[in-house]
Amino acid sequence: MPAVLTVDPRSGVPIYLQIIEQIKRSVALGVLAPGEQLPTVKQLALDLTINPNTVARAYRELERDEVIETAVGRGSFVRSNGTTQNARAAASDVAAEALAQAVREAKSVGLAPSQIRALFETAVSRWFPEEA
Amino acid sequence: MSISIAHLTKTYGKLAAVDDVSIEIPSGSVFGLLGPNGAGKTTTFKCMLGLARATSGEILFGGKPLTPKTFEYLTYVPERSVLYEWMSVREHIEMQRRVFARFNQKRADELLQMFALDPRKRIRSMSKGMRTALAVVLAFANEPDIFILDEPTSGLDPVNQRSVLKLIIDAAAGGSTVVFSSHQIGQVERAADHIAVLQHGKVVLGGAVDDLKAGSKIVEGIFESDAVALNGLSSDKRITRVEKTGRIVRLTVRAGSDTLAQQLSSMGAQSVRIVDLNLEDIFLDAVDAGASADVVEHA
Repeated sequence: MPAVLTVDPRSGVPIYLQIIEQIKRSVALGVLAPGEQLPTVKQLALDLTINPNTVARAYRELERDEVIETAVGRGSFVRSNGTTQNARAAASDVAAEALAQAVREAKSVGLAPSQIRALFETAVSRWFPEEA
Repeated sequence: MSISIAHLTKTYGKLAAVDDVSIEIPSGSVFGLLGPNGAGKTTTFKCMLGLARATSGEILFGGKPLTPKTFEYLTYVPERSVLYEWMSVREHIEMQRRVFARFNQKRADELLQMFALDPRKRIRSMSKGMRTALAVVLAFANEPDIFILDEPTSGLDPVNQRSVLKLIIDAAAGGSTVVFSSHQIGQVERAADHIAVLQHGKVVLGGAVDDLKAGSKIVEGIFESDAVALNGLSSDKRITRVEKTGRIVRLTVRAGSDTLAQQLSSMGAQSVRIVDLNLEDIFLDAVDAGASADVVEHA
């Protein structure tokens, strides 16, 4: 696995959530290919100097979300069956979280829903000029 | 092997150094014990090891009380390492090998190299950091099921501190249970999956690090005027602290941040935001909450 994973243990975001988010993003972007092997729990824990049970929890949740699969005695792998779909779902999760955060920010500075929608439309047309 | 501490109390005269402490340490976990100086961490360790006799309470290792046999699979590194000034590093290794059936000589040699310890060196010519490193080497070469480490990184440089953390992580990945205390919250934040914060001999906060982080937030609301009625908030069990500075109301919460953010909105806050807290913030809040009023109003 490429060294795509970095965590910030001092962040208020639980470390296992940081790992899940990054692996989902890597799968969605194809940085982690279908069938690619992930480091063992112990290896990743040592590489990042973080608790192994935290890594194990992240892997369990990624299995549950059908992003990775674990073969006993062989290790954990990015799922090859239906990966496109899972990766899209994973990417969509990441995007939804980012959008929710942006809306919360907008609300926290006192913008009205109509103003937030206008900002959203502006942002969309900036990134999809052909649709304008 | 799991460790269970139930209603542990240790009094010295009238002083309760440890006051009704209950802690569950799951097998294979790394448990960080935090607290200000004199909070009762070392006394808790001593009671666990039978070095101090508990006034009341029960401590179980894998469901069983401490017996001489427990020491076959348990290793303790005390806060001040117990080393013989006149002996060499090699002699300490030799002594440990004779005492512990599980002692792994090859591992000991690797660990000595890792910390750049010269086997010929005598303890009296070693710095505090080198002594800590030797105590750590002896502990990990025993390959025990349970590690009890009181400040296992004190006096070490950042490189060696990181090595100790990796040893703890490696041991836990291999199924050992590690209990350690540290003043460096950043280390606990990395290595531990569960923590307890002791203050004045009591547990003021405890749980899984990830759950504590997921729950603990600051919810901040800005109101139109400073005439905000805070009634109801201070009795909410999820809130550990209510601070009001003019038009700003700041809640420190251990759970329910989304609901409480909505509550501030419905109380008329124009703007509400939720801020994540790291373990240091959570620790300081827990220690603070034990020491001061829950509702603070600034003029």
